[in-house]
This record gives sequence, structure tokens and C-alpha cells, in this order.
Amino acid sequence: MKNIRYLFIATFLIASFDSIAQTFNWHDLRREQRHILHLNVSAEYAAAYGAGYNYRLRSKFPIVLSAEYSFPSGNDITDDFKTKIGGQIDWFHAGNFHFVSKIHGVFRRYQNDYARLLNFGSDLSGIIGYYKPKWFVAAEVGFDKAIVTHFKHTDLYKQNFPDIRDGWYEPSTGGNFYYGIQTGLSRKKFDVYLKAGKLIEQDFKTSPLFPVYGQVGVNVKFR
Amino acid sequence: MSIWPNHVLAESINFKTSWCHLTKWGDFRLAGTAYLQKFLKMISQKNKFILIPIITLFFSACTKGKLINEEGNLVPNTVKSDATLPAITVNGSMFHAETFGNPSHKMLVILHGGPGSDYRYLLNCKEFASHGYYVVFYDQRGSGLSERHSKSSYSIQVMIDDLDSVIAHHRTSPTQKVFLLGHSWGAMLATAYINKHPASVRGAVLGEPGGFKWQDIKDYVGRSRDFHFSSETFNDAAYQDQFITGNENDHAILDYKHSLMAAADGAADSPIGNEGPLLFWRAGAVVNKALFDIGEKEKPDWTTNLRLFTTKVFFAYSENNRAYGLSHAQLVSSAYPNVQLEKINGAGHDFISFPTGWTNFFPKALNYLNSF
Repeated sequence: MKNIRYLFIATFLIASFDSIAQTFNWHDLRREQRHILHLNVSAEYAAAYGAGYNYRLRSKFPIVLSAEYSFPSGNDITDDFKTKIGGQIDWFHAGNFHFVSKIHGVFRRYQNDYARLLNFGSDLSGIIGYYKPKWFVAAEVGFDKAIVTHFKHTDLYKQNFPDIRDGWYEPSTGGNFYYGIQTGLSRKKFDVYLKAGKLIEQDFKTSPLFPVYGQVGVNVKFR
Repeated sequence: MSIWPNHVLAESINFKTSWCHLTKWGDFRLAGTAYLQKFLKMISQKNKFILIPIITLFFSACTKGKLINEEGNLVPNTVKSDATLPAITVNGSMFHAETFGNPSHKMLVILHGGPGSDYRYLLNCKEFASHGYYVVFYDQRGSGLSERHSKSSYSIQVMIDDLDSVIAHHRTSPTQKVFLLGHSWGAMLATAYINKHPASVRGAVLGEPGGFKWQDIKDYVGRSRDFHFSSETFNDAAYQDQFITGNENDHAILDYKHSLMAAADGAADSPIGNEGPLLFWRAGAVVNKALFDIGEKEKPDWTTNLRLFTTKVFFAYSENNRAYGLSHAQLVSSAYPNVQLEKINGAGHDFISFPTGWTNFFPKALNYLNSF
């Protein structure tokens, strides 16, 4: 029953039409449009909201640098968040097909009654898509790596395990692959996009508690 | 061959090597400011895009931190590696176990929930020892501080055999009466044992078992985990998946993740109605997953022989557990021919652990046990 509910929620988010952050129509991204703002609503591990800024470089390849902040919903909207800084490159295109790769450094925070986690990670992905001036559809595959994590526990948790060792933990404390599709419409200076897919842990066997992702968003492009 | 100029790579290696020796967050901030200024200056004449992969390389190359999969760091050691813990070895496995009371008295075996929890939250039951009972606690296989095994080794049958072995280990005479007190999953295990060995148990105290048939269990678990998708409780449980992942038998990692999720049971919006979080030693995530997977695959029914167990069973459910209630209690308990159904007022699912629940439960359970 719970799985059906999750599927329903994910479907609703997808159907409400939008995509994951930093999803562009590369065909419609004009050289003079250097600044791109985006807002999104996502179901990615949990219900979340995000905003970001992107800057297109004056370079041979189309390169967009980006910074993004997102946070999950809940009573306390400051205890958990994720920030990404990085960029994406449109390496080449053949006709309307484009190959894009993205790399982001990630800093994120998690807190509940037992612990606070701070993590530095990376998010790498590749996208192959068919881009027309007014619409696009693409497939993406990526890997989100939690490289090094700092653990700090509350007194409540230390009642359970007083000798717990707070501090930095490495090498990698985790990683998840994701794959999915993205699509969108472009009109004048706006892109409206939708992105959805599946998450699986790096052992290729285990699914996260919320095993799918979906995002709807809007880009606004400026000169 | 690298696509980055050599001086950039060399600087980044020095940068990350120094950082790897810093352990405190304050050190990180101070060092970070100085290094960042130097680093940004270094790359200012280059394309700033190189910053991203270098930062990634830096973090991926550090090797100085604690290991998340090492016992004793984020989770306590089990009896296999901590000789100071009270333990028994039966049925080919080592169990964290304690007893209270006179060994010649009537035996009361306490069975914790989960699967994968431990008996710490049931220690109030020590009080039965002051009323003429030999109280036996043990952390079930793969649970609490007991030995861990690979996921594929767990089965319902081995859990039943473990209980049989624990009883045999502590029994001081063939005529010693044996009672079971099981809570949640522990009450299901008690019933699975009675279904298998109806003549071996004199009586049973059962607290809110999800069900004795798979569909009843699924229905109850679904209701008890009915958190709103956008709630803090849900994101507390799900958001951690991007920080920590573990392979199927990475016990230390998976047990720790499971422990963090336990906070949900004490949340205000939890349907199970507890007064707060429970105390525990260590979660058993692998046995929990293994037994749920087995349930999904085998769809067990532990009621097939219960008609042979004509002894009265004490069956308790709580007033504040919205996921349980009288109707579910009647549905589940009806598998036994002779039932004393009791509502525990002022308490939630874990009524044995909190003062109000314990105060309302203990006298009734003791009267039931003393009736034999």
C-alpha cells in the first residue's frame, strides 16, 4: 500500500510537469543568454524544493557553471539541505542529438534526533538527448557519491551507545546510481522541464527507502 | 596522461594532503580560508571550471578518517568481539543473554520485537524475577549485541530453533514450567514456536503482534509506518540514504542506518503512539531485512496448529497505537482458542517500556502468570 502511495506521489509530481535542476534545452540556449535562474520541486530521497543560478561561459564548447541549493520539506526546513556547485558541458552534437556531461561537488547536511551528518560528495552524470528549439527529450545516467562524512551524535543517541566515535568518516560512506529521462518545453526565455527516474545503491542490489526520483522545474534565461 | 597542467595537479595534491591531517571542523575552516585564497588565485588565470574536478579529486583521495564499516565506531561491538558482555552459545551461534531470578523457578523467556531490535527496551520485565520467575533475556540471532550472520543464513525456522535451544540451555529440570513473553515481532516468534511445539509452553503473554499470518502482518506494518511523504519524520528516515549505503552484509553500516531510523518510532506523528524514543543497544538491520524478505516470499501462517494450544493466552494491545486497535487485536488473537484480551490504557505500542504502560500492564500480566 505504501509503495502504491509513493508511486502515486511520484506520478503526480511527474504529471505536474517539470524536471530536475540544471536541466536545459541545449538547442534553445543562445550565446547571449548568460544567466539562468531555476526553481524546482522534487521527490529525490524526500519531498524537496530547490533553487539555483547558472552562468554560461564564453567558451568554445557550451559550458554552464551552476550553483544550487535544495532542502527537504518537514517541520524544520533548516536541518537538512544539499548544495551543489559545478557545471555541465555540451561536448558535441550531431544534428539535434547532444551529448552532455555534468559534474558537481556536493555539500549536504542531515539531522534528526540522534545525529547530524555533514557530507562532501560528488555527482557525475551523462546525458544524451534530442533537442529541438521548442522541446527536448533526453536520457540520463549518473552517480552520486558520498565521499567523506562527519558524524556528530546527540546526547539522546549517546544514551544508547555512549562510546560512539564522532568525527570524519572515510573512505566513501555511500553512493547511489540514478538513471531516468528528462523532457521539457521551451518558450522565449523559459524552459519548463520534467525529470524522473530510478535510484539504486552502488551495490546494484539495494534500493533507497524512496527508490525513484522526480523533479519539475522552470528555467528563466537572461542576457 | 592528465589533461590538467602539472603545476595545477601538484598544488592540488599538496592541498589535499594537508587537509587530510586536519580532524576538527574549526581546523577545516581556518585552513580552508587560507587555502581557498591561494587556490583561487592559482586558478584565476585558468578556466575556473577546473575547480570542480580538483575538489572532487581532493576529497576522494583522503584516507585519514574513521571507517564506517568498523565495529565499535558507530555501533557497539557484539559478543563476538567483546568478551565482557554476558553471552551464551547455542544452536551454532553466540547470543547476548542474561538471566534474573532463581533458576529453579518458573521460566519466563522474554522475546523482543523488530525483527532486529534488542531486549534493552524490555528490561522492565526483570521485575517478574522478584515475583517468583526465572527471567531469561536474549538478543535474537543477528539482533542487538548477538552474533551477526550472512543474510542468506536467516530463516524463521532457525529463529524457532534458537528459542528452543535457549530454553533447553537454561532449563534446570524437565518439569520446570516455561512461559513466553513476546512483544511485537517477539509475540509472533512466540506464536510460531507454540504452533511448532504446542506442548512445550505452559502459557504466553503476547503484546501487539502484527499478525500470525503474512497478510495481517503487512497490513499492520503498513499502518504503523504511515507517515506523510512531506513530513519531517519521513525525510528523517529517507534523506539519510544519500549519505550512507552498505552492501547486503555490511552489518556495522546497515545496523547504524537502521538505528537512525528508530527515531521515527518516537516521533509525535508516529501512529504507534509511544511517549518517546526507545533505548536500544544495536539494531539488527540484516536479520530484519532477511525476515521481511522471507515473509514476502513464503507468506507464513503460524496458526495451523494453534487449536491444539488450549491454554489461555494473555493478549495485550495499547490504547494509543492508532495502527492497532481493538479490531486488529480481535482479528489476530482469534487464532488462539482461549484468549484473555487486555487493553493497556495510556500507552502506545511499546507499553512495556514506558511508566504508564508498564504500570497498567505488569499487574495484569503477573496475575495471568500466577494463575498457572
